[in-house]
Amino acid sequence: MPTDVLLAANAFGVWLVALAVVSVVAVQAILYIRLALATARKIDFPHDKCVRGLRSGVISAIGPSIAILIVMVAMMSVVGAPITWLRLSIIGAAPTELTAAKVGSEATGVEFGSAQYDMKALAGSWWTMGVNGVGWLVLVGLFAHRLEYIREKVGGGDARWLAVLSGAATLGAFAFLNVNNIFPADPVQKIRRLSGGPLAAALVGAVVMVVLLMVSRRLPWLKEYALGIAMLAGMAAAMLL
Amino acid sequence: MTDQEQQEFREIWEKPVTRIGMATLLLTAALSFLPSLYLYVVHGVWLSLSVALKAWGMIAALFGAFYFVEPASYYAILGLSGTYMAFLSGNISNLRLPCSAMAQEVVGVEPGTRESEIISTLGIAGSIITNLVFITLAALAGNWLLSLFPDPVAAAFKNYAVPAIFGAIYGQFAMRYWKIAALALAIAVVMFMVFHAPVWVAILVSVFGTIGVSRVLYVRKMV
Repeated sequence: MPTDVLLAANAFGVWLVALAVVSVVAVQAILYIRLALATARKIDFPHDKCVRGLRSGVISAIGPSIAILIVMVAMMSVVGAPITWLRLSIIGAAPTELTAAKVGSEATGVEFGSAQYDMKALAGSWWTMGVNGVGWLVLVGLFAHRLEYIREKVGGGDARWLAVLSGAATLGAFAFLNVNNIFPADPVQKIRRLSGGPLAAALVGAVVMVVLLMVSRRLPWLKEYALGIAMLAGMAAAMLL
Repeated sequence: MTDQEQQEFREIWEKPVTRIGMATLLLTAALSFLPSLYLYVVHGVWLSLSVALKAWGMIAALFGAFYFVEPASYYAILGLSGTYMAFLSGNISNLRLPCSAMAQEVVGVEPGTRESEIISTLGIAGSIITNLVFITLAALAGNWLLSLFPDPVAAAFKNYAVPAIFGAIYGQFAMRYWKIAALALAIAVVMFMVFHAPVWVAILVSVFGTIGVSRVLYVRKMV
């Protein structure tokens, strides 16, 4: 990015703009924590279990957040720090945002990341990242509560089926996510081929998680760290491969 | 749960959840245009309507299907409050879903109940706090933080952390429902490797196909 564009992208004003969005995300989390605690009290669900649930979320998020941090630093160097802070605090992970930044720049006729990347191209990138995220935000903002109605219809008040249903949805989603990673599409040939690294990471991650959850029947405190340990074990296996 | 209890839960939970969710998501949608407005006000830079629409069309062609498919596919896992939080804060598959699942595992609540919804909400909210702390640190001191990681370690985080997390969550649920786990994997492999399905089709068929076969197993008392 040329120096004047880089300076504009990192200006103090952009930090303030980003702060507004980051604040909404923080406020939403705080409002939901308060509501969850208040509701737990009303249905006589123990407060200490709520605290354990919250703490488990805080701890389990550390490992995945380190991975996000590392990808984020790369994104900061191509589009600037404050806009990256804004974009990664909301929907759209780094690869999605970088694709939008590239598409937006190219719509103005400038190659993304080139020396010709001017203010107009920057405006293209910022607009496209914004309008892309808005797709999810508006649809979910307007229609999520209708999905609850559908779930109640499909669930039919059968508590055991509801449990199986959410387990099945999780397994369906993660089977898809795993296969999508383990057989990545070659960008040129468009064919999917088995990739050893992600396969080793996923297999070892799965096995270590199963072992940890079995051991944690005797050592319950272990559960809070299970995701982080399984992640590191999977990473180590893929690296050693 | 009696009808009266259900009605009451709707009042004390679902209604305020919807209010908070709608307000924060639509507000953020509006604020998403603030950076573009800033560039216009401060630098006088503005895209022509045709360029703006062209860029929108190009990005919607790539991601538009996911605006619909992802909320529908993840809803049965996240529930109402989880959907509002996950689709505001993003990083759904690699962070929100795993933290929701782990919180429920740690506390030991029955999936699909009111209690599990409250714990899932707290788990996701906790993950948002951690994630905001990390990305704020990265924004302020990212290059310095990155220098603390030796190159191979940073590369391992970049390439293999997400596959390992996906494997771990799959393992966690496969322990409970191994038959469903095997069928889910078969569906995903067939979609990608046999039918060469586009990603948005594969996710829909994986989630709802797995729910469908699970219903058959459930009715036959096999799960």
